[in-house]
Amino acid sequence: MRILKNIAKILCVASLALVLAAASYAQTLKLPPHEKVVLKNGLTLLLMEKHGVPIVSFHAIVKAGSAADPADQAGLAGIAAGLLRKGTQKRTAQQFASDLDFIGGSFDAGSDVDYTTISAEFLTKDLDRGLDLFGDAVLHPSFPQAEVDKLLAQSIDGVKAAKDQADAVIFNYYEGYLYGTHPYGRPGGDELSLKKIQRDAILKFYQAYYVPSNTILAVAGEFNSAELKKKLEDAFGAWPAKAAPAVNIPATTAVKGKRLLLVDKPDATQTYFVIGNVGVTANDPDRVAIRVVNTAFGGTFASLLNTALRIDSGYTYGANSFFQNQKAAGPFAIYSFTKNETTVPAIDLALKVLDDFHKNGLTATQLDTAKKYIKGQFPPRMETSGQLAARIAVSEFYGLDDNEINLLESRIDAVTLESAKQAIEKHFPKENLVFVLIGKALEIGPAVKKYAEKQDERKISDPGFWPPPAK
Amino acid sequence: MRKVSLWFFVAGLVCALGFAVPANAQQEAKQFPVVTKTLKNGMKVLVQSDHSIPNVALYIFYRIGSRNEHPGTTGLSHFFEHMMFNGAKKYGPGELDKVMEANGGENNAYTTQNTTVYQDWFPRSALPLIFDIEADRIQYLQFDPKKIASEREVVASERRLRTDNDNGGLLDEQLWATAFIAHPYQWPVVGWMSDIEHWTMEDLKHHFEMGYSPNNATMVVVGDVTSDEIFQLCEKYIEPIPTHAPPPPVTTVEPDQLGERRLVVHKPAELPLLEIAYHVPQTNNPDFYALNILQTVLVHGESSRMYQRLVDKDQIALNVDMDAGPAFDPTLVIVNAQPKQGVDPAACEKAIYEELDKAKTGLISDLELEKAKNIRLVQFYQQMRTISGRANTIGTYEVFFGDYNRLFDAAKNYSAVTKEDVQRVARKYFGANNRTVATLIPENEEKAKQ
Repeated sequence: MRILKNIAKILCVASLALVLAAASYAQTLKLPPHEKVVLKNGLTLLLMEKHGVPIVSFHAIVKAGSAADPADQAGLAGIAAGLLRKGTQKRTAQQFASDLDFIGGSFDAGSDVDYTTISAEFLTKDLDRGLDLFGDAVLHPSFPQAEVDKLLAQSIDGVKAAKDQADAVIFNYYEGYLYGTHPYGRPGGDELSLKKIQRDAILKFYQAYYVPSNTILAVAGEFNSAELKKKLEDAFGAWPAKAAPAVNIPATTAVKGKRLLLVDKPDATQTYFVIGNVGVTANDPDRVAIRVVNTAFGGTFASLLNTALRIDSGYTYGANSFFQNQKAAGPFAIYSFTKNETTVPAIDLALKVLDDFHKNGLTATQLDTAKKYIKGQFPPRMETSGQLAARIAVSEFYGLDDNEINLLESRIDAVTLESAKQAIEKHFPKENLVFVLIGKALEIGPAVKKYAEKQDERKISDPGFWPPPAK
Repeated sequence: MRKVSLWFFVAGLVCALGFAVPANAQQEAKQFPVVTKTLKNGMKVLVQSDHSIPNVALYIFYRIGSRNEHPGTTGLSHFFEHMMFNGAKKYGPGELDKVMEANGGENNAYTTQNTTVYQDWFPRSALPLIFDIEADRIQYLQFDPKKIASEREVVASERRLRTDNDNGGLLDEQLWATAFIAHPYQWPVVGWMSDIEHWTMEDLKHHFEMGYSPNNATMVVVGDVTSDEIFQLCEKYIEPIPTHAPPPPVTTVEPDQLGERRLVVHKPAELPLLEIAYHVPQTNNPDFYALNILQTVLVHGESSRMYQRLVDKDQIALNVDMDAGPAFDPTLVIVNAQPKQGVDPAACEKAIYEELDKAKTGLISDLELEKAKNIRLVQFYQQMRTISGRANTIGTYEVFFGDYNRLFDAAKNYSAVTKEDVQRVARKYFGANNRTVATLIPENEEKAKQ
């Protein structure tokens, strides 16, 4: 899931403002018309009417995510989001659930590293009731102590349950090991940090960051824009204006040298591994070229990585790579898994594919395939109102404009063998590599030492991910 | 599934069935008009035009799955699903994906106990190519021993990922193996590891002949197409493919379960797991609708009875769910819960039985019945909002109910469900003698107790 989510996020580089009337291009990809309104209190509204299916999708972004968590309370942003529906000024958690389920609505809230997302969907016929629920959760959560305790206990056990499955936690270890004490190194929190979270801190986080000028609300689907605008103004216009503190995300820098973290899972019959380093920011000028070359490298079934590790060798069920583009440079990762016995040959092969990529770059055919693949698979990624609402909200957050979509095809076409080669050299790691492995240390430990001069080891049952708790 | 696997995830498909309820059958049938044609070789083709994006979803459902296997060849259907991407006559090893991607397309597939389903997603410009590829591999699949050896390893890796190194997958496998003693639903779709290692070339060739005949398949095409152009492509590429005998009928009937069965898995784990299975009829049984309403009342959303009880009030579980996948033969509905750390799974089990007992002794409320029907309406639109969701839903109804129109009748059938029907199915199927209980107990916890 994590991988899929990351890929979805990388592909989610859309935008907003005014739709270009540039009909001179033979473009097939265009964002549907949409409108931006900034209310007096500073709330940014994005409205996109999309008819055909009687559903309305809400997607709000609050500009503070896990990177805004206090260092010793990782997971705070996620807990605050999770509690929005767990009791408001006029509904208990149970009433909220009953009202939501009765109309078949959905409501999800959680934190990403850069921001918090609150999304919901309702049938058009239930729009008023849905908007009332959505507004209630965003504007009037009451954070009852009993619900705080319940959610924290569940989240702590949730981390433990995830540790029973290596692929569910490997990126938690990876981001910790890659970023260390940088805020990107503790996405979501762990068993120890969650224990330290108190209701007061949650309330303070909410009061500081959940303010109109710090919020983007995108709504897409079947509705009448003029009517909905009025309804949104009624619902959110009285939200008091207030300045939010800036979330300070220091620049991230690539790890120098090679280092390896082995997480011991004694019952593992398969080793899960991630290899990578720090990647790029959401608005990196090379982002389209990077997307094209990564598609060829590890973004599809016939990509170089999957061809080598799965199709030709049978080492694994799957191998892929991704860049997660964030406010400060996000991670780049190669991910795969293989049985204990073939751990070293599989990692050697992944490194060889990376090395060859640097040496040989792409062939004209590979480049052309990657371009056609991205273009051919793009329309289904903008098919539903939920996808579109998320896309315009995230674009607005990262300050990307509509050309991100509307000029995507011509920008893809503009990638040449030469610019692809430059993107590989500049953005794919070569000598400096971070390895994270989850597997049976007894069997694989000695052999994987060769990959890095600096090595660390933890047991998967040890609380936390990385770094280990201070003694 | 080949890439983003589904074989283990029969549960996911329940959505394709359980939740499809249009408000007004006539209106929805008009909104999503389906045109059908049965080719001379017996393959039925269903087309639903939608020009909102310039893309197409093409699904082919083969009526062959792990129920058509036997001990020694378990997992063969799923393995075969992998082989279908490994080269035929015109498109050799590795070429299918390369060509498809070079034309902007991508593909996947999934195998269940009942079916093997191939999925192509592509821009409409790739239409003739996709038909060429599908016709090539249905007729002329290659059986290269080297490729077979390497793909065995891939499938073994998939099994390690989803079963051997996944506590939920592991427990689920043991549960089916215990709940069924006669019928082929007892073995895993991915196959036992020793069978994965030992299939022979003859087994593979036999399986291909048995399952991959046009009269054993249904094609669904949704997206930026017209039915005329699809039927023309079918005439050219698919219709000439000769038919042969479909798989022999599965005649084994699972005998009634006459008493509770229990199994325990001991292994290193952070948290325990619990699954409780009950035998229920096949998908096209009239009780399907009442069972789905009961399932919604018990586990859908945070207002559901079991969530309220186990997760919210008693706080003994992290989550609780209940699912039954589409099936040709009598199958299982499975209640599963993730107990919290330190909670005895028996406490969750007791709470689940108490909630089931309430559904047997009392009637659900009018509000619960209405809620369940509303949820189904929303989920109908959720699966019909994408071309791929529509292809899967239309195909699943066609294959498991024998007629895609059941999709549009579902509203009527759900409306007919009464509170008494829900009580009746709760009593009929959720008895102690009809259940199999599986628990996973963390070894470390046991050691700590000693």
